[in-house]
Amino acid sequence: MTSKKMKITILNGNPQADNIKFDSYIDTLTGLLKSNRHTVTAFKLRDMDIKHCIGCWSCWVETPGECIISDNSGEICKSYINSDFVIFASPVIMGFTSALLKKAMERLLPLVHPYFEVVNGEIHHLSRYDRYPLMGLIIQKGRDTDEEDIKIISDIYMRSAINIKTSLRFTKLTDGSVEEVVNAINSI
Amino acid sequence: MQLTVFNGSPRGKGSNTKVLVDQFLDGFMKGNGNSYKIVYLNTTKDSDYLIKMFEEAEKFLLAFPLYVDSMPTIVKTFIESLEPLCGRKENPDIGFLVQSGLPESIHSRYVERYLKKLSARLGCSYMGTIIKGGVEGAQAKPVWMNKKLFNSFYQLGKTFGETGKFDEEIVDRLAQPERYSKIHLWLFKLFGKFWYWDTMLKKNNAFEKRFNKPYLEVK
Ligand SMILES: Cc1cc2nc3c(=O)[nH]c(=O)nc-3n(C[C@H](O)[C@H](O)[C@H](O)COP(=O)(O)O)c2cc1C
Repeated sequence: MTSKKMKITILNGNPQADNIKFDSYIDTLTGLLKSNRHTVTAFKLRDMDIKHCIGCWSCWVETPGECIISDNSGEICKSYINSDFVIFASPVIMGFTSALLKKAMERLLPLVHPYFEVVNGEIHHLSRYDRYPLMGLIIQKGRDTDEEDIKIISDIYMRSAINIKTSLRFTKLTDGSVEEVVNAINSI
Repeated sequence: MQLTVFNGSPRGKGSNTKVLVDQFLDGFMKGNGNSYKIVYLNTTKDSDYLIKMFEEAEKFLLAFPLYVDSMPTIVKTFIESLEPLCGRKENPDIGFLVQSGLPESIHSRYVERYLKKLSARLGCSYMGTIIKGGVEGAQAKPVWMNKKLFNSFYQLGKTFGETGKFDEEIVDRLAQPERYSKIHLWLFKLFGKFWYWDTMLKKNNAFEKRFNKPYLEVK
């Protein structure tokens, strides 16, 4: 039974339309989350206009909180910051999540603040918003993906979570069932 | 020795990565008969050309800024294009330079593990990863302020040009601090680079707007 109705954003970083297995996993997951009364926004990143972050700092020092590049990334930022939970999803390519997902992730920079603060004895950036969604990671193993790769990816996302002012709640493989993911989210 | 350098900064020729690589190359070129090639990933989109440059390299240095705890997108795109070359016998020896905005090297240690694994995946001999934190703004500083930093990169390049290896002592020194001590954290809170952002915010007449939350939906 659903304990809490949540707003969930899914970032589908599958770059290849012919990787049907991945997209249908995400579709099934989206459906099941909805039938658990969550509100779900799933972005299929490869069909969107998302440009590279060029490191210009405009989102920090010129138009604070907003990127100056006009494309679909604003939509993602908006859905992201107003969610309770965000799922980053990608096939593993050369031992890491896709460049496509990375591109979308870099464009989340406007959501944090340039100022610094100390978190667990390390320097990080300050929050811009009062709350940030929790984070989950779903990956599809490639032919050569091993346990070490999964650990490395998961650890890097754990670090990114600190930088986007949240924590990584799970790393799940598309080998597993969607129910597993839904249960993990429902138990929050 | 022949060295091919890929600069993976989205800022390309205006990058902090470039000023560090330039010093490294100056040192490197002191070695007899050394030569280098450099490619900027932000402007070179031709993936066949990039792959060819990689294939033909003897030693390969991939240099980039830390972007959300890993490599910038343009670097990951390049890495994805190398998939067909995994395990190729003639692949170059490979080394990395990761420099970050945040001052401690702990931030770059996670992608370092990835880079080491990537080298194994490609079947490249791994020369190591140079990690340097607190580099944001270096490219805009007057030369004297960068003297120590530049000298380290020059020396690193010089010994590399002679031995084909990264000098462990210099690499260790550059990676300091791994984490800040309590006293340093306290000093950072007092004197940290807030002025860096405030100066730019004020110049852009955006200082009053610095805490804006443009994407918040009011419930
Ligand atoms: C989108 C983006 C993400 C970044 N992520 C990190 C990070 O996770 N950790 C960090 O220490 N610095 C981070 N930085 C700061 C850069 O690593 C730093 O500014 C670097 O010196 C830029 O080098 P460049 O001029 O060669 O591009 C980030 C910068 C941008 C624009």
